[in-house]
Amino acid sequence: MKFAHLSDCHLGGWREPKLRDANTKAFVMATDKILKENVDFVLIAGDLFNTAVPGIDSVRLAVEQLKRLKDNNIPVYFIAGSHDFSPSGKTMLDVLEHAGLAKNVAKGGEENKKLRLNFTVDKKTGVKIAGMIGKKGGLEKEYYDVLDRESLEKESGKKIFMFHSAVSELKPKELELMDAMPASLLPKGFDYYAAGHVHVVERGNVSGKKIVYPGPCFPNNFAELEKLKTGSFVLFDNSEAKHVALEPFKVHSFSLNAQDKSPSEVEKSLQELLKNVDVKNAIVTIRVFGCLSKGKPADVAWNDVFHSLYQRGAYHVMRNTFALVSNELEQVILPHASEGDMETALLYEHAGQFKLKNKDISVAKNLMQVFSAEKLDGEKVADFESRVCSDAEKLFK
Amino acid sequence: MGKGLIIGGEFGNILVREKSDVSLELGELLIAESKGNKMLLQVFDLLYGSQLSQQQLELISGMKLEEDDSLELMDSKLRTYVLSRLKNLALLSKSTSSSAKTLPNFFTKVREIVKDDVTFLTTPKNPLLLGLLRSGSKVLDVPVSIDGRLALSHHVLIAGTTGRGKSVLMTNILWDVLDKDFAGMLVLDPHDEYFNKLQNHPKKDKISYYTPRSPPPGALSLKVNLSDLTPRHFDGVVDWTDPQRQALGAYYNAFRDGWVEAIIQERQIPNVNFHEGTLAVVKRNLMYLLRLDVDEQKNVVCNGVFDSTAGKTTVSDISRSLDDGKMVIIDTSSFHGNVEILMGSLIASEVLERHKRYELSDMKTKPVVSIVLEEAPRVLGKEVLERGPNIFSTIAREGRKFNVGLVAITQLPSLIPREILANLNTKIILGIELRPERSAIIDSAAQDLSSDERMIASLDKGEALVTSNFLSFAMPLKIPMKENTPQDNVKTNFGGSFLK
Repeated sequence: MKFAHLSDCHLGGWREPKLRDANTKAFVMATDKILKENVDFVLIAGDLFNTAVPGIDSVRLAVEQLKRLKDNNIPVYFIAGSHDFSPSGKTMLDVLEHAGLAKNVAKGGEENKKLRLNFTVDKKTGVKIAGMIGKKGGLEKEYYDVLDRESLEKESGKKIFMFHSAVSELKPKELELMDAMPASLLPKGFDYYAAGHVHVVERGNVSGKKIVYPGPCFPNNFAELEKLKTGSFVLFDNSEAKHVALEPFKVHSFSLNAQDKSPSEVEKSLQELLKNVDVKNAIVTIRVFGCLSKGKPADVAWNDVFHSLYQRGAYHVMRNTFALVSNELEQVILPHASEGDMETALLYEHAGQFKLKNKDISVAKNLMQVFSAEKLDGEKVADFESRVCSDAEKLFK
Repeated sequence: MGKGLIIGGEFGNILVREKSDVSLELGELLIAESKGNKMLLQVFDLLYGSQLSQQQLELISGMKLEEDDSLELMDSKLRTYVLSRLKNLALLSKSTSSSAKTLPNFFTKVREIVKDDVTFLTTPKNPLLLGLLRSGSKVLDVPVSIDGRLALSHHVLIAGTTGRGKSVLMTNILWDVLDKDFAGMLVLDPHDEYFNKLQNHPKKDKISYYTPRSPPPGALSLKVNLSDLTPRHFDGVVDWTDPQRQALGAYYNAFRDGWVEAIIQERQIPNVNFHEGTLAVVKRNLMYLLRLDVDEQKNVVCNGVFDSTAGKTTVSDISRSLDDGKMVIIDTSSFHGNVEILMGSLIASEVLERHKRYELSDMKTKPVVSIVLEEAPRVLGKEVLERGPNIFSTIAREGRKFNVGLVAITQLPSLIPREILANLNTKIILGIELRPERSAIIDSAAQDLSSDERMIASLDKGEALVTSNFLSFAMPLKIPMKENTPQDNVKTNFGGSFLK
């Protein structure tokens, strides 16, 4: 048994045309590699498209590639994921299935108040595939709560379970707040658990269940470009699963701490950071964080940095400055930085409640200072009291 | 109903002559109304009394035994009787109770307690039901609750000999907490019993159950990522030597998240050398404790709950669930003692650290977190703590400041150091036969139990005495056995046309 396992292709996901093209290239690259490997079948564990009704370009791309697989007698089995699922059933996936390009394996129905899933048998290998859809916000968990596991578990032969959910035991640290379900909700006894939804490249064994996340075909956002660098899918051959990288473009990621730097210093540091890197035909991500000593993030000559990278042949350059803040802005928000200034401001603010003159406010402030004096080391209590009283009296003279 | 008459004694030791046709019991609650006050008294000792001298009694008994068994004493009810010793529990009014500071009049009648006498037992702010008020062996239909937020954050001790109802009581407490929102409970369950017992709770969705065995549907496989471990978590788990401790620290500083793997794979720290033997012992200990192996390619193979791939969010998930007022039950039944302590230490440290970061205002509104420790001396015992403090002793001492408390369950409270016992502000005492164990509790109780030793020894299954800073006097209780009927929770509408 040899198969390819993809998920989270998110065709049509990127708004930026260049990155959308990169995503397209990655998907085509996956098809090329699958054809070259001559697999028995292909699994797509959800989110082939970024929406239930994708744009015409994405549909054409999917149809072209699925047709190539079909022409080579490689069946494709899929489930709907959180992005391309539609409660009405009106999805492009439905169209693909009716066109005979791929087969939805998340099939089943209610039986004795339980949800009974049906197996789809791959004709070539006899492998039995069952699948469960993914829904937004992890809402598919309610299906697992009533799933007839027994009927799935007692089925004999080679079995694959395809699902589109985060598994609690395999959640990555950075996605710890993501909705997830325990692996125990998956039926037992399957030879391979083809997972999707979480954009990680992960293979884990949880209570004897070999759960595999292939990662997205292409990183789906700035942070994923930084972390994953490439897309990937899984090639399963004779009980061995290996991740295959999909790298339509190299990704170079840079991070700069701009704490206490001026906008021009940030630009200089960036140019220095980037000068020896071969960015030709590469995607470049630049993350800048920290608090500028002066000026605003917009004062950094980003255009110059970008221009120099494009001149050196970069395919696409992106920046992330969410964590870059301006010191000037901070001062506007917190004008009374010191404790003393805050006290003065509060005294002025509340002075109207009493018949006070400006001089009284300064006396009050000085009095607060006198009364906040502390006893010195070795000073007797009586001496301390006398010193404080004397200092206070001086203020009223 | 009148049960006797006060005939003497002193404060805390009032002598009552029992009426002939009634029987007073150890632990029975009685009411004495005198001088316009209603006083709550409790029987702590019973003894015989007689108008006849010992010599005469011996003679009469001889005559009955040796000559005529039908021999009856004239006016026997007047001549022989039972005396009981009573202690003052409280002075009662309709809505409050206060410490008694006076004695009732001579010859004041004492009567049995009725429901109307205990109207002062109102429901506290965050009620945690402990049981029903008990008078001797008689159970009153009066539920006794304690302020759960206060009690759980100020630590609870449940002490009693095996079979006296510790587990039933703990199950009842967990059952009750599940209904409320004031506390998150972490249960380290070495007998893997509580999850099953709480299965029929209508709010069972609030339970996260982690087990290293094959988990039932909905439960979680217990996996903890190696990157979550720090050398500090091994305090009180492994008795490291100073060089070994230094090696752990150095590897942690050099490799951070991958420090355990680095030791197992024998990776070198640049410019730092350790004695070969030191590293070998550290490696061996870690491999044994964490059930790790190394394959031919020097990859770390994980055979237990500690994993290099899975469980990256387990500890933070647990901690977050507890802060949301949920219940986390961890099946530790298959662990060696020190692995269980390591696991508990890892989670408890995270919980405490998280709470230390909270603002005071958050602390007031967020649920308190309580950690249930079965066989508590394993982590709070004198022997264990002699090796150095661990996270549980830290929580016992300072956890209440951060709303993190312990529920320590044991049959051997004497093994817990006195200063820790004193910090467990609520003590639920079930029957204890061994005198040193009773003494350990009596010496550290919130109320004066010096005269209750015999009563504690005589507590039957399901009977308890609760002493707490948050109760006005030590309350005798009966722990109810819950009938936990299963809930019909079957979903019938699957929705969504995609599955058809």
